Order: sequence, then C-alpha cells, then structure tokens
Amino acid sequence: MMLNIKTRNAAGLAALASVALIVGACAAVDYGESGKVDYTKMSAEELGEYLVMESGSWNMDQEVQEGGTARDRMTQDAMQKVCSETRNQPSPEQAGQIIADARASIQYPEGGIRLGDWRNGRDLSWGGFGFRIVHNPDDHSLREPSGNCYNCHTMDPARPGGNLGPSLTGYGAQRGNNEATRRFVYEMIYNPHAYFPCTAMPRMGAKNLLSEQAIADIMAYVLHPDSPVNR
Amino acid sequence: MSKSLLPILAVVLLLVPLPSIGLAQTPAASDVADSIAEYRRMLREGNPGELWVARGKRLYHTPRGPNGVSLDACDLGLGPGELEGAFAALPRYFEDAGRVQDLESRLVFCMTHLQGFAREPLLREAFSSGERESDLEALAAYVASRSNGYPLAVELSHPRELEMYRIGEGLFHRRSGPLDLSCATCHSREQRRIRMHGLMNIHNPAQVRDVMGSWPTYRVSQGTVRTLQHRMWDCHWQMRLPDVGYGSDATVALILFLNEQARGGEVDVPGVRR
Repeated sequence: MMLNIKTRNAAGLAALASVALIVGACAAVDYGESGKVDYTKMSAEELGEYLVMESGSWNMDQEVQEGGTARDRMTQDAMQKVCSETRNQPSPEQAGQIIADARASIQYPEGGIRLGDWRNGRDLSWGGFGFRIVHNPDDHSLREPSGNCYNCHTMDPARPGGNLGPSLTGYGAQRGNNEATRRFVYEMIYNPHAYFPCTAMPRMGAKNLLSEQAIADIMAYVLHPDSPVNR
Repeated sequence: MSKSLLPILAVVLLLVPLPSIGLAQTPAASDVADSIAEYRRMLREGNPGELWVARGKRLYHTPRGPNGVSLDACDLGLGPGELEGAFAALPRYFEDAGRVQDLESRLVFCMTHLQGFAREPLLREAFSSGERESDLEALAAYVASRSNGYPLAVELSHPRELEMYRIGEGLFHRRSGPLDLSCATCHSREQRRIRMHGLMNIHNPAQVRDVMGSWPTYRVSQGTVRTLQHRMWDCHWQMRLPDVGYGSDATVALILFLNEQARGGEVDVPGVRR
C-alpha cells in the first residue's frame, strides 16, 4: 500500500487493504469504478491519497521513459506534497527546506557552465516533445526531449509563446553573458525552486528532463548576442 | 485528406498557435481572442455538433444491445426517462450504482445494466478515432443538450457527493509527474495562455461557467464532438500523467468540483471550441 496517511483505526486499514486487492484484480481497461469503498469513513487526506493510489482511476502499470512505471509519476516527492497542500504558499520554514533541497539537487557541468549552440537551443525551446505516455508515448530514441519553453515564455518576439512565465525577450541583451548570469540561468533551468519555492516552472535538470548539452543549447538561445531572443 | 491522419493533425493543432484560422505571423493576444470569438460566432450559426445531437437522439431512443431495449428507462437522476435538466445536476450519487457518477459514467452504467452491452469495449471506444465513430460522444451530446437553458446546479447533499467534491478540489491542486504540474498550475490565474491558447481561471466564475456549460463541444481541430471525459484525459496526456480511466472516480471528482465552481452557468451545448 502506498497510502501516506495516519490511519485512525485498524479496521479501516484492513477494509482498505481488502478493497485494494479487489480493485487490483480488475482488468487494465476497467480501472476506476470501484464502487465498493466507503469514502465517508476516511479523512480528507486519506481520501485523496486513497483515490490517487488505490481507486484504480489511472493505469499505473504503464512503463515510462525515465524507467519504472506511471505509478512513480503519481507518487509525490516532498516539494510536490508541500506545494500542493499549501496551494504553493509554503510557510517560511517549508520554503527554506524546499530551497535547501533544490540547491542540493543541482549538479554542475565539469569544466564550468558554458553556452552551447543557440540554433539547437531555439528548436529545443520551441518543441513540446518528450515524456508523454498513454496512447501515444514519446519515443526518446527517435528524438531528443525538448524544453517546452514557449508553452509559458515568449523568447524570440517573432514567435509568441505563452505567458504563464515572464517574457524572456532580450534577456541576454539586458543581463549580459557573464559568469553570474550564466550561473543564475543554469540554476533556474536546473531547479528553479532554489530561487522561487513552489514555482510553477518544471525542474528540467533535477528531474532529468533535459540533458546537460540541451541545457547548454537553451542557455545559448537565451543569452547569446546572435540569438533572435537578443537581436 | 485521409481520415486516418486526423488524430495526428489534431495533436499537431493542439501544439501550434492556430494557423488554420489565418492569423498573421505575430498577432497580439487580444487580436487572437477577437479572431477566435468571431470564428466561434460564425460556426455557431451552423454548428456541426448538432449532427452528433441528432445521432445521439436516434441512438438513445432506439432498442439496442443484447437486451434489445432503448435507454428510455435510464435514470439520469430525475427518474427513468426524465431527460429535461438532468445533465445540469450531474454528477450526483446514484443508489443503484453505489457511487457518484457524471453523465458519461452514468450512460455507461445504463448501457451495461439495461441494454446489456459489455463494459470493456464501451470504454475502449468511448472516444471516436479516425473513421470510428463513438456512440458515447453522440449520446452525451444529446442528453446534455436536453439541459440547454438550465443552470448548472449540482446537489452536493449526499455525503458521498461531498466527499467526491473534496477529493476533486484536492486533485485539482495536486502537483505530480515529471513536470510538477497540477490543474491549478495553468488554471488559477487571469488572462494566462499556453502558447496562444487561452486558459480558464478557476477563480473567475464567469469563465468556469462558460467552459462547463459548453461541453460536450465540437472541437474544430479534431473534427468531432468531444466530451468532458475526453478533456480530462487529454489534459492528463499533455501533463505527462498516466492514462486516466473513462468515468473513473478521479474524473468524476474533478468534474463535480468544476461544476460546483460553475454553479449557475447556463447549459448551452454543443459548444464550439478550437
């Protein structure tokens, strides 16, 4: 059982366990209509985690690109849990812990942080390929996962992007391509919770979503003076 | 164009900024919004979704399935055969099923229990694909259209409905997966877009009413009517999350939460969306 809960009575836990067995026996396509669990006997916290992990609402057994199964993707880590529970408004103590964990997660390239090829970075910033599963899983052996940057940011002003994040147009022109800026941009891409705990931005490095070279290429797109982002 | 290419095209269209509407290369966001509104007005005059409603009506009232009966005895919450306004009060708890059900999971229940259809093929073919039509998309469009003009008003009185509401609220804010996304990541701020695609803000009741009152909807990019279950499923794919089951408890909980935020919104289906 993957329930991360304080169960209030042993009888409830036993009932849960038996129901999980029943649900687990269902055919793969038939997930999600348990109908046999009395949700009213559980606390709100139990309910949510029960529903996610044991109700059979999702196909948890599908293999995923990073290894393991879809169940791992639904299992929350510490940051995801705190940010969900606080609606992305962590207490100062929680924020401090998230920042410390994020800082500890960042690994730096051997030989220092450098810029790659901004043309490849342009394509990686624009692309939305990678890590999708279900009926149409992205095959990473055919193509490298991209950054999804334009989902949330405008970069080259000729290619409007989303606005969940700030515009990055002219970022390198304004900040300069120096050691301090390169370090900040690298860390922001790698794990932005080091600066903004509970930010909406994904952890592209810490979650192994982009390779070291891909990050270098995207950084070049953001910072290089020849990149359309800065011209 | 070959029909088999349509699903691929649909995915492409979801990822690129609206080239089919003939926009300039670098449109301002307000221009895009205006263009989409105008496009919608034009389409509503001859909404192709009405064809799905007509087909759904025929399917609903025709004897079908191993038991050779129509769905006229299906109880959608207001009593067997009572369709007027029934969709506007879903999801709700059903004693005979022992669970909270939305429109689509209720239709599956009636099709299996009354008509004798096997559940697994129904779920497998719930979404149309290429040349294969979906009976559930047509049935959902028809039943929902029988609530046109009614305000969305879930009852939220049964303990199970209240529990599912709380679960739905929790799921909406639950971050997980490789991208750390929850529904709220994209749907909790005003005037936000993914690329050029505008996003509903859960804290803006007018927007939530507009969205929830207009599904099932004709998806121009997909050339078919899509339902709320498809919207949930497609969001999960985009979010890099696992396959969420058609009519599963998780989807019902989310839809119940959303419909309560949309309380009072007028049902006007089938809608027309990109």
